[in-house]
Amino acid sequence: MTGMTGMTGLALRSLRHRLTASVATFLAVLFGTVLIGAFATLAETAFAIDGVTAEQEADQETLTIMGIVVGSWGTVIVLFAVASTVGITAARRAGEIGLLRTIGATPRQARRLICREALAVAVCGALIGAVLAAGVGWLLLDLLRGELVASSVEFRGGPASVGAAAALVTLTSAVAAAIAARRATRGPASLTLRESEAETGRMRWYRVAVALLLIGYGVGLGAVTIFVMADSDDPYAAMQTSGSSSILVGVGFAMLAPALLRWVSAPAARLLARVGGRGAGYLAAYNTSRRAHRLASVLAPVIVLTSGAIGTLMLVSIDSRTLAGTGDYEETVNLLNNVVVGMVSLFAAIMVVNAFAAGTADRRAELRRLWLLGGTPAQIRRSLAVEAGIVAAVGLVVGTLGSLATIVPFSIARDEGVVPDAQLWIPAVIAVAVVLLVLTAARVAARATIRVAVQEVR
Amino acid sequence: MAALTTTFALETQDLTRTFGEGAGTVQALAGVDLAFPRGSFTAVMGPSGSGKSTFLSCVAGIDRPSAGRVLLAGTDVTSWDEDRLARLRRRRIGFVFQDFQLMPYLTAEQNVGLPWRLSGRRPDRARVRGLLDRVGLADRAHHLPARLSGGQRQRVAIARALVAEPDVILADEPTGALDSATARGVLALLRACVDELGQTVVMVTHDPVAAAYADTVVFLVDGRVAGRIEAPTVDAVAARQAHLDEQAVSR
Ligand SMILES: Nc1ncnc2c1ncn2[C@@H]1O[C@H](COP(=O)(O)OP(=O)(O)OP(=O)(O)O)[C@@H](O)[C@H]1O
Ligand SMILES: [Mg+2]
Repeated sequence: MTGMTGMTGLALRSLRHRLTASVATFLAVLFGTVLIGAFATLAETAFAIDGVTAEQEADQETLTIMGIVVGSWGTVIVLFAVASTVGITAARRAGEIGLLRTIGATPRQARRLICREALAVAVCGALIGAVLAAGVGWLLLDLLRGELVASSVEFRGGPASVGAAAALVTLTSAVAAAIAARRATRGPASLTLRESEAETGRMRWYRVAVALLLIGYGVGLGAVTIFVMADSDDPYAAMQTSGSSSILVGVGFAMLAPALLRWVSAPAARLLARVGGRGAGYLAAYNTSRRAHRLASVLAPVIVLTSGAIGTLMLVSIDSRTLAGTGDYEETVNLLNNVVVGMVSLFAAIMVVNAFAAGTADRRAELRRLWLLGGTPAQIRRSLAVEAGIVAAVGLVVGTLGSLATIVPFSIARDEGVVPDAQLWIPAVIAVAVVLLVLTAARVAARATIRVAVQEVR
Repeated sequence: MAALTTTFALETQDLTRTFGEGAGTVQALAGVDLAFPRGSFTAVMGPSGSGKSTFLSCVAGIDRPSAGRVLLAGTDVTSWDEDRLARLRRRRIGFVFQDFQLMPYLTAEQNVGLPWRLSGRRPDRARVRGLLDRVGLADRAHHLPARLSGGQRQRVAIARALVAEPDVILADEPTGALDSATARGVLALLRACVDELGQTVVMVTHDPVAAAYADTVVFLVDGRVAGRIEAPTVDAVAARQAHLDEQAVSR
């Protein structure tokens, strides 16, 4: 028993020294709980309406769609974000865990340290998030009241909905931490210590399996949209099945990010070596292909962001052309879709910035090494910029591919053919925005880290 | 006078480095005058905190001296800007670190060629292979550092330090992280760089056995040169070291 309290004490102390690293986890859990929880309160409110009159029934349906349909799209993104943020934070500890183990900590103790730390942060974030979620849910309902639902509908969100959201997010954090902890403690202690720098990052079979499942499910929904829902009388049936496909496929591709990076950068290494001048592209190419798993943490949110944003915005665009002027209901659905795009984009953007900040800060020692060997700060910055360029390029291509899972089926279902009729500039605009986001996040992170790395001693 | 100066691969004049301000000031280097002839092997010794690492950092342009001058092959490099110092480090100085400092995602061969890459040139393959062969790692050329032992990694680092044919090789406790058998291999290699390639080596060490591989041992105490031994033996170095430690304790 003393071992357990000892580890908890160590976890708390080490937590205090790691506040900045924990901030990312905390924010992901907090925002995640707020988003899922807020929509869950709408669903709870819907259940509480007694569907006696036709109007009440309509309100019930509107709120249920909002709460459950939109909520579940959001949930996929949020859970993915939380899991990968917790994973990044835990993976950053691999070297330190190796050290603890060489001085006698058992793998179990090391795992407990990682898990308790993650859990402590997640519980704090989820609790605060749950309280905020109730407030945001109330605001959401207030916006809808009088517009899309009757003014008489009362907010009924309570512990059940926000509590469930908090529990779901916390559980996800715990599972992600447990998986990361297993990774960090596999094999002998010396190995963890040594390999922390050059971990091969092979993907476990279950990761590949889940990724393929998500992609398959997303594509399957697309097929259902084309072959079944297109003939339905309800014009929104096609949207219900194809709407989330791009997000599902995007998350699936994102889980395969390390492999994607390796496949792309290894053959392109020679070509990349010419980019950026004076060794910058050369370093970037080898770092990308040989440590793909690290850069993958940045690529993953870029893919989800691109896929989700392009897919959903094109869906809205096709929808507004093909169902013009059918009234209130259509407006609601459009609003909901835009809320989804907003959520997806905000969350993915936070993740991109966070992943760059964490990933670059972790490479301080290595960047300093380049400087010691005669690399100039400008040269090191350029090499990081080339890496960011690779991430942006791969992210855009794969993300756009993922967005097709929504666009093509929905476009066919609404009789626009494989290629939508108009507004094809939407993907281009999003592409530009994504590239700007990635390059800016990388640049800010690189500048800060290199400045510290170069001045460490002086 | 000018002709005389240039026979030294490296020279420092009144080299001073002060850390901090006011009451908390630490004088890591308090006026070090040293000259290292071309083709010489010098060991720098001294108690912990005596300024050995600071000396190497100032010479390599990693740190800036507070006063004094650093002359590399006769050229005063003290006031060079950061970019010129970076070029200096990849072309004219070979640094060997206690913890190797290899890039984890580059193979042994690529690590050796890195200074050339940073100069925007393609490494001379034959030369890189030749150096790896010299340090006994011809068959490990395509291994990543994580798959090499400590001694092997340090030998890669030495090959990297040699690749640009620098004016001077600076080594900060290069055997500090190695067991004694592996350390002997690394020391013999540094010795061979001097004897066979005509390189100039300046090596910081705490180990009298390592120091005995050098032609000259220089002792630093409190940032000052506190003596030297020519053609050192292990016993002579150990005796002097013990003497300096006693002085340090009595102070
Ligand atoms: N960045 C710094 N800021 C403040 N003081 C420093 C800094 N670097 C070194 N010092 C101080 O300068 C003195 C010399 O340090 P240096 O690292 O050169 O010693 P050393 O001889 O290499 O010691 P060791 O044998 O332990 O490696 C020490 O008192 C140290 O505390
Ligand atoms: Mg030192």
